[in-house]
Parts: sequence; structure tokens; C-alpha cells
Amino acid sequence: MSPETRQTSIQSPIQIERYFKRFSLRQRLEHLVLLLCVGVLLATGLPQKYRSMSWSLSLLSSPERLERLQTIHHIAAVGLTLLGLYLAIRTVVLLFQKKLSGDMLPVVQDLRDAGQMLRYLFFLTENKPKFGKYNFEQKFTYWFLFFSIGLMVVSGFLIWFPIFFTRLLPGGIIPAALHSHSTEAVVTGVFILIWHFYHVHIERLNLSVFSGKLSDTDMRSYHAREYERLVNEANLKGNEVSLDTGEKP
Amino acid sequence: MKIIKTYQPDLPAFLKIYLVLSISLVALGLIVAPAQAQETEGFCLNCHGKTDLQMTLPSGEVLPLNISNDQLKISVHSSNGIECEACHTEIKSYPHPALSDEIQTRRDLARSLYQACKKCHSQNYTKTMDSMHAQAAVSGNQNSPICTDCHGVHDVTDPDQPRARVSTTCSQCHAQIFEQYKDSVHGAALLTENNPDVPVCTDCHGVHNIQDPRTPQFRAATPELCATCHANAQLMEKYGINPNVARLYNLSWHGVEVSFYKSEFPTIWHENAVCTDCHGVHHILKADNPASSVNPANLLVTCQKCHPGAGPNWTGAWTGHNETSPTRTPFAFYTEAFYSSFVPVVLWASIIYVALQIIRATVNRVRRSLS
Repeated sequence: MSPETRQTSIQSPIQIERYFKRFSLRQRLEHLVLLLCVGVLLATGLPQKYRSMSWSLSLLSSPERLERLQTIHHIAAVGLTLLGLYLAIRTVVLLFQKKLSGDMLPVVQDLRDAGQMLRYLFFLTENKPKFGKYNFEQKFTYWFLFFSIGLMVVSGFLIWFPIFFTRLLPGGIIPAALHSHSTEAVVTGVFILIWHFYHVHIERLNLSVFSGKLSDTDMRSYHAREYERLVNEANLKGNEVSLDTGEKP
Repeated sequence: MKIIKTYQPDLPAFLKIYLVLSISLVALGLIVAPAQAQETEGFCLNCHGKTDLQMTLPSGEVLPLNISNDQLKISVHSSNGIECEACHTEIKSYPHPALSDEIQTRRDLARSLYQACKKCHSQNYTKTMDSMHAQAAVSGNQNSPICTDCHGVHDVTDPDQPRARVSTTCSQCHAQIFEQYKDSVHGAALLTENNPDVPVCTDCHGVHNIQDPRTPQFRAATPELCATCHANAQLMEKYGINPNVARLYNLSWHGVEVSFYKSEFPTIWHENAVCTDCHGVHHILKADNPASSVNPANLLVTCQKCHPGAGPNWTGAWTGHNETSPTRTPFAFYTEAFYSSFVPVVLWASIIYVALQIIRATVNRVRRSLS
């Protein structure tokens, strides 16, 4: 967990960008699998939902292709479910080992940050809130997708194996699951497109989830509180830099 | 020679002379006074009115040649002055010409004589050429119906007076189907009360160009076919039937699949349920009839035809032909209610928040470049 730094000396005439390690390889892979599965699920699910639209008809040009599309959808669904199970088990294990990082948990500070952000957006203050490792926008994205994907997985399995589940549960949940699966997919898709894409691609190009690192400049402007915390920690320890990912070893 | 002999009953010489003379007279009369009706008819009946007039066909079948005057009187043709020679065009004189060698049986004769119908009824005749019945004939079924099988021969009258007559006509060949139909909600109303609204065979199957109902196309068109009556609010109100059944079906899982296949793969067979899969085809009963396949008591068995292994809760998954409601389908109702506000809230909150951020960022950049 050694921080990846390229900074050597402040006196250097050449400005050298310092990078902070933000995501571990494991986290980056988790995101990649998530991205792949959700991408495939949306690409194979939306044409089924909007099957009478011309763009989906070019995909579903025969019943066999429709069937193949559903098979791909199911494979990706199993992939996403396994990822979810792995994360859930890992979380429980870390919780029992008391090693679980609380970085992603919503705290009161997030509400304060959101309030200040709104004041800033309405020109009531000139100061953006100083964010910690994960700002409230990122936490919101995380938890929105957490519940959304949870709902998609549950409703998806309900409509995949309706006969099995109605042996145990009332039949009325099937049309509800169908409606939920179909609508939640669009809500999630729209949310990712508008909210997530803006924050990681347009506001600034933030590829840290792929590279695993965040530049010093980005750290200072977007995660100022975390930056200060890490610098203070480093100063206390007397090290030049000791920047942690927030993940306990 | 045998044919000619049997076809030409022995007549005394004086009668032959009489016949020739009278035919000439009639011909003359027709030229002089063409409007005069019922001339040849009476003339032909001189012989064909005899009850024992008959001939033997090459197949050995006996063909009665007697025409009952009572039959003729009720026929739409005779009463409108359309007489024997209008249809029997090949017979212009006596002795009558011999039958063609191709005609061996009574059926052969019927199939040859009915061609005369197209002289006047060319449109309907042409339609029958596209029908399932014509296809059956082409593939060798000589018994497949021709005009006269349904409409009658010398006693042609309105085919749908009363309406029940249509169904009994079809039942001559389709007896098994008729047995199912006559006890159905449609058939019973037709046969017992001569109901003018219920469908007779031809309402669903068409009249002259009757198509094969076992094709994927016919199957996919079934909901539309039923909807011609069942989406008619005025008609349905009369019987206290929900006129939204077809609309709500089209929104259901089955309906969406069926209309997709109908528009995209009309020639490919698909298994998603159409009306008749659950309600039955010819033996459709009211849903509250204990024998109905969609009666709540029998619904699960009906579902299991396509969904084997479905448990007793399964029927609850079918929203029926009903709008979702908090009492009947609470899960679906509250899910829909949730999303009807959740979707716009997420959508607009994301849009507004991101828009505010874009505005703020743009203002910042403008300020920076101006300062």
C-alpha cells in the first residue's frame, strides 16, 4: 500500500505532478466488471423493452437473435449477481475482522457539504465545500447504484424464474417485478448518463477508477479535506509523504 | 351409348313432336316477348316434375332428375325470373346432349355444373378460389365444398336467414366443431334466441375466402379478430362485458409478445397466449361459468398448459383484463405508483443539479477570463 509518488523536491524548477493512490487493483477490477456487466445488460435489455422501435428491430431481426440476446442478458446478469455476492461476502468478512473502511458511508458532513454545494451553485457563497476522500455526489452515485442494482437483480431473477418464485411468494409480485425491472433499468441508465457521466467525464475527466491514481491538483481541488488530512498525517509521522488509499492493509 | 340411353327416357313419338314444337314456340316467344317469365321452367318441369325421373351415372350412382316445384318456388332465382337455362347452359334442346366422359360420379357432375354460378356471382366465385376449401379441392379432396353445397341447388335462398342457418350450414361438414360451438356463449345465444350480435362461423372465418385458421398469421391476428366486437364499448355495454379487455391484453406480457411477432415475424409460429388459448376456440364460455377454462377454479389448469409446474399462486401473476388496483393487484399497483413519481424525480433532480453545476462552472470561467 505504498503511495505512488513522483514528487522529489519542492525546490525543483520543474513542476512534477504528484499522484495519490486512490483505488487498489482489486477495486479497479471490480469497477471494470461492474461496468461491463451493466453495459451488456443495458445493451441487451433496452432493445427488449423498446422492441417495437426501429433501432431495436435492427438488432432483433429474427426470433433466434432475440433468444440469443436474452441468453447474453442472462449471462451478464449472472456475472453481476456474482459480483454483488462477492462484494457482500467480502463486506461481511471485513466487518467481522473490523477492517471495513467507512469511507463510503454517508455521514452528517455529507449533508453539510450538500447544503454548501447548493449555496455555491445558487451564487450564495464563493467557496466550494472541501470534500473528503469520497464526496457526497460520489457517495450518492454509489448508494443509488447499490439499491438500483439490488432491485434489478431481485426483480430480474423473479421474472427469469417466475414459476419457481411463485411457489413461495404471491403471484402478484411477478407483474410488479416486471414493471420494476423495466422501469428501474431506464432510471438507472438515465442516472448514469446524466449524473455519473457529468461528474467523471465533463466536469473533469476523472479516470482514477481505471488508473487507480489521482493527481495532486485534482486532490487539492476536489478532495481538499482528504488532501489536508493526508498531508497532516504525513507531517505528524515526519514522512515526506505517506498517502494511504483509505483502505486498511 | 349407355349414357345417352339412360339420359333420354323413352317417350312416345307424339310427345317428342310436341316437345320440339313447344321448344320452338318458347324460343319464338322469348324473341317476341323476352320479359315473359317462368316459361322454360314450366316446360322443363313437364319432364323433371316427374318423381320417378332418374338416370344412372357411369359410376353406377343413380341421379334423380326430379325437381320439386316447391323447392323452385322458394328459390331466389326462380322467383326473380332466373330460370333453368340460366344455369344449365349446356342444355339447349331435347334430346339433351350427352354428359362429358369426365363426369363419372354425382360429385363430378356437381363440380362441373356449379361453374355456372360464376356467370353472375363472379366476385364471390373468385373469392372462393383463394379459400382453404379451394386449396383442399386442388390437393384432391373432391368433397371440399362448392357453391351449391352451402347455398343449395334449386332451392337457393338467403344464406343467413335466420343467422343460425350459417352455422348449421357449416355443421354439415364441421359437425364436431358445431357440437362445441352450439353450447358456447356465442352459439347458445345464436341458436336459442337468434341473437344478432354473437358471431356465426363466417364472422370470424370469413365468408367466401375462408382461410386456414391454423397459420401463424391467423393466430397472431386473433386478438384483433376478437376485438372487433370485444373492443366495441356500445356492444359490450349491452352484455355487461368490460370493453377494455383487448386494450389491456395488448399491454400484458402475452399481448406485447404477440403484437411483436405479428408485426415482425408474421409467418413464424409463436407460443404466447392469444385469446383462444385461454378462453377456448369454439366452446368459449362466460368466465363465471364453472365449466369455463378461465373460471377462477379452472384458471391454474389453463395456465399450466403453457406453464407446466406453476403452483397455486401463479394465477395471481395474471393481472387479468383489469387495470392494476390497490385491492386486486396491490404489488403491481404500488410499484407503478412508486415509479410514476420516482422516475420524474430522479430525472429532473439529475438534470437540474447538473445544469446548475454547468452554469456555475461557466460563470466562473467567464469571470476568470474577464478579471
